[in-house]
Amino acid sequence: MSGFLRIILVVAALATFPSRTLQAQGTYPTRPITMIVPFPPGGVADQTGRPVAAAMEKILKQPVVVSNRPGAGGAVGMSLAANAKPDGYTILMALSSISIIPEADKLFGRQPTYRMDQLAPVALVTADPTVLMVRADSPWKTVKDFVEDARKRPGEISFSSSGIYGTLHMAMEMFAHSAGIKLKHVPFSGAGPAMTALLGNHVQAFASGPSVVLPQIQAGKLRPLAVWGDKRVAALPDVPTFKELGFKDVEFYIWSGLFAPAGTPEPIMKTLRDTMRMVVADPDFKSAMEKLQTPVDYRDAPEFKEFWDKDAAELARAVQRVGRIEGAQ
Amino acid sequence: MTETLQNLYLGFSVALSPEVLVFAIIGCVVGTLVGMLPGVGPLAGISLLLPATFGLQPTTAIVLLAGIYYGAMYGGSTTSILMRIPGKAASVMTSIDGYAMTLKGRAGPALTIAAVGSFIAGTLSVAFLMLLAPLLASFALRFGPPEYFALLTLGLLVLAFLTGGSMPKTLSMAAFGLFLGTIGIDLMSGFFRYHYGIVELSDGIGIVPVAVGLFGVSEILLTAGQDKAPAVQKPKLKDLPPSRQEWRDSTWPIGRGTVLGFLIGIIPGSAHIISSFVSYALERRISRNPDKFGKGAIEGVAGPESANNSAACGAFVPMLALGVPSGPITAVMMAALMVHGIAPGPLLMEQQPQLFWGFIASMYVGNLVLLILNLPLVGLFVNMLRIPYAYLYPSILMFCVLGVYAVNESLIDVWVMTAMGALGYVLRKFEFEVAPIVLGLVLSPMLENALRQSLSMSSGSYAIFVNRPIAVTMLAIAAFLLLLSFLPLLRRGVASSRAQLGLES
Amino acid sequence: MTTPARLLRGVAGTSRDRLAGIVLVLVATIMASEAVRTLPIGSMASPGPGYLPLATAAALGGLGLLIAMRGGGPTLAALAWTEARHALLLLGGCAFAAAALNTLGYRLTMFLLVGFFLGIVERKHPLAALAWALGLSLGSFYLFSDLLLVALPRDAWVF
Repeated sequence: MSGFLRIILVVAALATFPSRTLQAQGTYPTRPITMIVPFPPGGVADQTGRPVAAAMEKILKQPVVVSNRPGAGGAVGMSLAANAKPDGYTILMALSSISIIPEADKLFGRQPTYRMDQLAPVALVTADPTVLMVRADSPWKTVKDFVEDARKRPGEISFSSSGIYGTLHMAMEMFAHSAGIKLKHVPFSGAGPAMTALLGNHVQAFASGPSVVLPQIQAGKLRPLAVWGDKRVAALPDVPTFKELGFKDVEFYIWSGLFAPAGTPEPIMKTLRDTMRMVVADPDFKSAMEKLQTPVDYRDAPEFKEFWDKDAAELARAVQRVGRIEGAQ
Repeated sequence: MTETLQNLYLGFSVALSPEVLVFAIIGCVVGTLVGMLPGVGPLAGISLLLPATFGLQPTTAIVLLAGIYYGAMYGGSTTSILMRIPGKAASVMTSIDGYAMTLKGRAGPALTIAAVGSFIAGTLSVAFLMLLAPLLASFALRFGPPEYFALLTLGLLVLAFLTGGSMPKTLSMAAFGLFLGTIGIDLMSGFFRYHYGIVELSDGIGIVPVAVGLFGVSEILLTAGQDKAPAVQKPKLKDLPPSRQEWRDSTWPIGRGTVLGFLIGIIPGSAHIISSFVSYALERRISRNPDKFGKGAIEGVAGPESANNSAACGAFVPMLALGVPSGPITAVMMAALMVHGIAPGPLLMEQQPQLFWGFIASMYVGNLVLLILNLPLVGLFVNMLRIPYAYLYPSILMFCVLGVYAVNESLIDVWVMTAMGALGYVLRKFEFEVAPIVLGLVLSPMLENALRQSLSMSSGSYAIFVNRPIAVTMLAIAAFLLLLSFLPLLRRGVASSRAQLGLES
Repeated sequence: MTTPARLLRGVAGTSRDRLAGIVLVLVATIMASEAVRTLPIGSMASPGPGYLPLATAAALGGLGLLIAMRGGGPTLAALAWTEARHALLLLGGCAFAAAALNTLGYRLTMFLLVGFFLGIVERKHPLAALAWALGLSLGSFYLFSDLLLVALPRDAWVF
């Protein structure tokens, strides 16, 4: 089945090239590049991918077409890119969840939709630390209050997430594990509904990217307790990091990075890496990211690879700790 | 009140400025177009124009996207009425009586009422939005998983009034629909259910392929092979506007549909899909002759069409007043604002009065534009029925395939549509209703998640449904309705229960 | 062997609702057994991923039984199946489209689909069928692919 499916996917990927009959001649790129975004328009990957594509176009002098291929939490688009021809004309803008899906597949004994070694990292583009949010009218003013209360009544304080094994779930799981507390998990179908559940007081905590919750903090509806990042977030200078608070290994980012199918020739990889270095310096790109309040955290392929390996290992452990969940709790 | 008027004046000065007005009209036209084409739908239309909005002013951008959204609600009824192809879940119910009216040569009135109903619902619900948004928003937030579960249970009960056929047959189809809805990834545990190695199925069975297959394709299968081809209609000008009786019959359904749709629409989540189902069931339940439904009752067009437009507008309440998305479409619209550095939140109204009131005013303008745009189109579309059926049905089949493919660019969806077409054909030969399958499919994931989220919240205790006032009220209403529909059975005894159940022996 | 023939005659002579009920029970049984085989069911207080599938299967089975026991209606043979041949052709057309879209591309597939029904099934004038099929497939491709940017499969040949 998977062989057949792969053929279908490859054919589909090829079909997205407007003029694939043209032979590549001269230096890469000689024809338009397709950037697969495995999430719907308007999502985090899309909002980062489009400014990147626009800046790449200016540098490479070839159109970079964003193709949204959502489905199965990103697995559809990612496997499309993983199985595409490694010629530099298909690239992928993916999020942290790229490391979770194969791990979850393993957990359930499923045929994996793609393997991580099918994709080669090009550059890390953004990394947004998550923020621990509670309601402004909750009794917890600090992480210490929260942890102490959670120790007193294990499994009673609940948190919402964007979905089981999703990035927001994993972030909370890392924190709970490090703090040695047990929380109640209520998954929702996306970050929006998860935040709505906290606003409506149906759950008590929620981990989120900073930009979505800033207006709620300003309006005095929600209170940030701590940040998962290495350093404090510019927009929330008073909020400590978990590291400062003594939770040493609690570090988590929702990151976005550019990938190419593994086996893409070295000269093309070099062109892509050089392009990305120029993209992050592009003024239009910078202003777009500023408006989205998403911090750019550019890292070239070698450092990105190191970052990715560490992140993937951390996520794999978190997925295994959660394990298979057979009931509703 | 004077404050509202002042704000509204500000809003209209924004909405009637040439740039905003032009984009509002573009949005409405594109929306009508994508709404009419099966499968493309508002989300695809918005996604399509989203990158183009990055270069616009934020107010213009949001006005354009909103125009597409409610424009698509107007356009969605066209293929349902003329060809029995529901392009989206909201127009499934319209395709029943709307198409029956077309067969009776009343396509013109059906399309006109759909447009007028949409206009009235759109305009009134913007007024509700303007006056009540902050108030309703805090109420909407109280809808957590337990309340949602109660609401959907209530929604499930309308099944009984959804169709006129035999009760066990209707319920069995609903059970089948609920089952279809469980295919795909389980949100609560991450298990893939019944996917058999097909990656695309892990997202579940789409509503559009099922609806188009069960309604559109099955209709062609039943009709195309008949010995006598359906007669070509030659609509006359005088048959276009509704008769006086049709106007009168539509008035109250439009009013009820508007209020009902708005109330369901403001609740965050995807419950607004069920508004047209609930409206149809309500109209059928309170109608003096419910047997008319399914055979071309104008109430069955007026109610659901108003309800889905009003729900579309209600969906803006949580977004504008709270900064929370009420569904995928409002989520994309919020993303469009964030690109401009505006993060929608509870303070949007204070921090961006121009945007907020300009948006409100543009919806009044947009609805008027849509009415003016859609009424002349009625004449145009009705004339499509002049095409001989031999030419029409291969074309409809092609548009079914195309539309279904266009939703996700997935061939699996085309296979699902084919299978559902075959199923719909056999079921209709066996006199089973297909609408409950679609409702079951729509409700299933919402109902299941709400139930299991509630039980997660309460650590497995069902008391959570009793301890929360909104949930318990709705469940009590549900229980009362259930009792009401079984009461005649108990009173009249078993003999007539068979007739009541629609099972003549 | 006369058993298959007798079975067939038996099926044809069964009343419509009875047959439908039996089929529903069969479908429900398969659904339920697959749920039990592949998914954890969980419990009332903590429903697992297999809970709702099993519950709906049970409901479907029960209702199917009710329909089979009480149901009537004309026999299967008495239902007019005059349009069945045509219906099968149309379903075949859908299946052809699903199978061919990615290899033949959108325009060629739809041209063949519409052309087949107009030219061969409906025996319209070849020129009229050709013009209609060509116009529809190319026109809809232009509308969806070029204007609405839906990534319709393109064909390998210049068509």
